Amino acid sequence: MLTSTRTECGSVAELPAFESPVSRSFVSSEGASTEPRRSGAALTLHDVSATTKIIVRAGPETAAHHQLHASFGTSRTEEGVLVVGQRPDEWIILGPADPSRALVDRLDRSGHVSVIDHTHSRALFRLTGAEAASVLEKLCSLDWNDHMTPDGAAVSASVAKVTCDIVRDDLDGTRSYLISCDRSYGQYLFDAILDARHEFGVGPAGGPVG
Amino acid sequence: MLIVPCPNCGPRNAADLRYVGESRPRPDPNSASAKEWRAYLYERANPAGLLRETWYCRSGCRRYFTLERDTVTNEFTNPPTPVAKLGKRP
Repeated sequence: MLTSTRTECGSVAELPAFESPVSRSFVSSEGASTEPRRSGAALTLHDVSATTKIIVRAGPETAAHHQLHASFGTSRTEEGVLVVGQRPDEWIILGPADPSRALVDRLDRSGHVSVIDHTHSRALFRLTGAEAASVLEKLCSLDWNDHMTPDGAAVSASVAKVTCDIVRDDLDGTRSYLISCDRSYGQYLFDAILDARHEFGVGPAGGPVG
Repeated sequence: MLIVPCPNCGPRNAADLRYVGESRPRPDPNSASAKEWRAYLYERANPAGLLRETWYCRSGCRRYFTLERDTVTNEFTNPPTPVAKLGKRP
């Protein structure tokens, strides 16, 4: 039985199974409409919390700072892994486990560099659809127009009063956002986004890592 | 709504930041008297006009920075230009 008290050694990321911060029971809730209420406004919200999330902090004088090669507010893809410049000296690595850890292993750790696996401490959701920006506008005070947050933009902001890291990561030309927050706020944020989508229609889905 | 110009993130709603207070030089701990320490810790100028103050961007870049604000009009004088621009992927 999983408890909040750890008795074994090793990193949290080595636990045999990942437990989502979002209750799966909500997915089958009869009250959740999956049909868009506007034509062409299909929206999906996926819980992708099992995605590997590694936070790297590196001072500007370090080699790792230059190796990561994603300036503050931008992101790039390397071998299927998303490298996000989330803060001036902080990056988030998002992607499948093996390539993400391989990318981090290649970093020069000399100097003021820290690498922490936050896979189990952060919730991550993917909001996809043409109306995704409209949903975010209801929850967050930032400007989500293309000229302010184009594909690849990374910001940190308050979403439904929860501090979140947001990356615009379009899928095949469709607007898509990766939204992460502390795991303990995961269920609340998931519900808040579902609530905000009500006028647009969104299908909650707890699918595999995407 | 007060819009605060963060030097890293750009204009942000003040609710995304934390107001730290007036920005004043810290006395030298080797030479400051008890009276100077008390003034530094507890006394505030609280002017009706320009005030140099510290803010913390808690929801954004998580950096401290100082700005000059007119406490009567809430206008920021010489707001900093953001050091980073959100851009498309290379």
